[in-house]
Amino acid sequence: MDRETRRSVEEYRRNEAGPLENQVIDELLGGEVDREDFLRRATMFGLGAGTIGALLRLAGESELAHAAPLEAVQAGGTIRVGIPVFGASLEPYLLNEGGALAFSGIPGEYLTFTTPTGNVAPWLALSWRPNANATVWTFQLRRGVRFHNGREMTSADVVASMRQYVGAKGSNAGLSPFFDASGVSAAGRYTVVFRLKSSIGVFPYLVSQTTYQAIIQPASFAARPGTWVAGGMIGTGPFRLRRYVDKRSAELVRHTAYWGGRPPLAGVRITFFQGSAPLVLALRAGQIDLAMQLSPQEGQPFRNNSRYTYYQLPTAAHRQVCMRTDTGPFRDARVRRALALVINRPQQVQRVMLGAAQVGNDNPFWRGFASTDRSTKQRTQNLTLARALLRAAGAENLRFNLTTWNFLDHTDHAASIQAYARQAGIEMGIEVMDVSKYYDSEPAGADYATTTPWLNRTATLTEYGARGVPNIYLTRCYQSTGDWNASHYKNAEFDRLATTYLAAAELAAQRAATKKMAGILLRDTPVITDYFIRYVTASSSKVKNYVPEGISHIRLAKVGLA
Amino acid sequence: MTRFLIKRIGLALVTLVLLSLIVFGISTILPGNVGRAVLGPFATQESVDALNEQLGTNRPVVTQYVDWASGLLQGDLGTSLTKQVPTWDLLAPALENSFKLAFVAFLICVPFSILGGIVAGLRYGRFTDKTITITGISLAAMPEFVTGIVLILVFAIWLGWLPVTAQAEEGASALTQLEYLLLPALTLTLVLFGYIARITRAGVIEALESDYTRTAYLKGLPSSVVVRKHVLRNALPPTIAVVAVQVGYLVGGLVAVEVLFNYQGIGLLVYEAARQKDLPLLTAGVLVVGIVYLVFTLVADILYAALNPRIRLGATE
Repeated sequence: MDRETRRSVEEYRRNEAGPLENQVIDELLGGEVDREDFLRRATMFGLGAGTIGALLRLAGESELAHAAPLEAVQAGGTIRVGIPVFGASLEPYLLNEGGALAFSGIPGEYLTFTTPTGNVAPWLALSWRPNANATVWTFQLRRGVRFHNGREMTSADVVASMRQYVGAKGSNAGLSPFFDASGVSAAGRYTVVFRLKSSIGVFPYLVSQTTYQAIIQPASFAARPGTWVAGGMIGTGPFRLRRYVDKRSAELVRHTAYWGGRPPLAGVRITFFQGSAPLVLALRAGQIDLAMQLSPQEGQPFRNNSRYTYYQLPTAAHRQVCMRTDTGPFRDARVRRALALVINRPQQVQRVMLGAAQVGNDNPFWRGFASTDRSTKQRTQNLTLARALLRAAGAENLRFNLTTWNFLDHTDHAASIQAYARQAGIEMGIEVMDVSKYYDSEPAGADYATTTPWLNRTATLTEYGARGVPNIYLTRCYQSTGDWNASHYKNAEFDRLATTYLAAAELAAQRAATKKMAGILLRDTPVITDYFIRYVTASSSKVKNYVPEGISHIRLAKVGLA
Repeated sequence: MTRFLIKRIGLALVTLVLLSLIVFGISTILPGNVGRAVLGPFATQESVDALNEQLGTNRPVVTQYVDWASGLLQGDLGTSLTKQVPTWDLLAPALENSFKLAFVAFLICVPFSILGGIVAGLRYGRFTDKTITITGISLAAMPEFVTGIVLILVFAIWLGWLPVTAQAEEGASALTQLEYLLLPALTLTLVLFGYIARITRAGVIEALESDYTRTAYLKGLPSSVVVRKHVLRNALPPTIAVVAVQVGYLVGGLVAVEVLFNYQGIGLLVYEAARQKDLPLLTAGVLVVGIVYLVFTLVADILYAALNPRIRLGATE
């Protein structure tokens, strides 16, 4: 390592870095984080590529690798993409369905980007810095970014967009837990300041595409919620909308002034499909080039087939089997632990997900998160212990229903748990509902929180999408005050640790908290998280340079056709 | 005839009012609420309540019905709650699509099925009759989803002759649209063939065994004349009534086929409206399908009378 490198790093620490940046550097030099985790942390705190490279050299690590070279593609051509039809709105502040956010994410873009490897990367924001306690984050915007209408993106657009997302009536509340309308302001043409309600060490992740209600719109649309779609979905993305027929098709053409360089493709033609069966058939028949997402079963025909490219991406998306801790047979933690112990997780991943999943350990801490402590022992099947726990709890004749809805792997997953449970003498029924019944109040019109099946049945099986950090899982599913806390779990110690984790900017503190929380969750087991799913999709082999993304956005800026 | 028409139109209006009342009534016991459908399962209850308030879906269903009905009397079919556009803007293209598919299906299905039924009836008890009857029953017993997948696998994926979806691109020529509609139309033909052919066959057999046919033969008329003038004339009216009733199904009841072939017809639109509890769209859609059904039933009755001189519309009622 040369003297010049050491001097530049010391200079950076002394003159530019704040306490949080210095903390990250200490973590690297002290050997507390590996190269991968350092990269995640460094990008999150907005360290530049040059500084990161110098720090890696200083720590004796290999330098930043350049991205894999892109395959040569012909300029031009139109890619045909299949997306499942969506019922809900395309307005960014109302986005909630995979198909809708995949489509809107082509013309629309975000301040930051959570990469498939879990790093947060600059996107419309070029850099960002927190204050000493991570309550104020200052974002520098990329200059020269043009909307599809030719106007330059400035801080006014970002502020107006963010204010819509935290203030619009009926907003999906993706960002409102973190700041309110007065908490975002411009500090110059290209600088935006977020004043948060509390410390959040991972805030840059929360304005990336994983909080999909955060698209940057022109201020004129953002000031009037509900006008973005009618106004032509004007964003900054690599393709601009030319035509959209609801539930049927859409056409987008190259945004020639795209900040990321001229996209190779001339256009994108989207067909919206009613259900996955016709989408799979269309890909097989060559009527589309790329499918948004497939289940592992649907993806099978495209595996090891030279006519197609099969994609599989590990993600934090997972399933939660929630057991009511406040009433019924699962009040006793031993009974909940017994159910968790009957599952042969590696076998289940093969049977239900055909291997397209990673085993979970009954907590939301996916191994891809930098903050996840990896020392917690993995729970494995133990039928003897399960029977003993049931005996001790006086629940040898445990009978209950697992309630879920007809979504992707849910019914297979429920049947798998049922079969394992039977091995320990547990009789589990399966109640499969339609989505509208599962997520509605019962009866319709009754108080939602206290009647909806997914939050109130004895045991439920619910899906959760991928996120770059586990914050939202913790605050809404596990903390006592969480509005998605389907197990009605209340543990003051856990709540305290979660709050500590959320405020912590240091990785060591985050890991210490997740380790303790994982231990508590293994003991209390309010939720069984037996696997984290891999994102699966496929394309025709002529599609080049496509990289899928865990929350179903379709990034086509570098994609071309062979 | 005029009296008959007035009476039928009056009955149709009553039917449509009842239909709209039933749809609104049933909606009260359907699961789901609009705010939740729009915002998704993970939206906060405050957001859902705010949206329901904004859309007016938290009002009593009777109030919503009265609002909708008074709008209808002024020629306004209402506004879709989930899409916030006039329901007719959604219904019109879907109805056009449904008519296109129904038309192509009819062009293939009706002559093919009637011909099959006539041949089976004329060859009653022989190998041809048994083959047509058993094939028809087997195809009718098969769910249209399965028939459709088999056709897709053979003609779209293995042979690559036809597109797998039914929706041609915007502005496609009539010939291209026909190409796209062939597979779903064939699926419907296979589904309906057995039913229509059996009705025709039964009519032909009955006519063949009747006194007037025997008399015609005894008079020395050639077989072709007997079949054309006596057998078919008497055998076809029931078939026409059955075919007319199928129009309602072909226009509004093809959810499975529309899903499989990714086709935006009115059946799918109404189904989605029901799923999302979009009452104005659901009711308007059901009414439109109801009107189509009533109109075609009326046309069938008139045709029935025209083909069967023994029936005089309105004369005996």
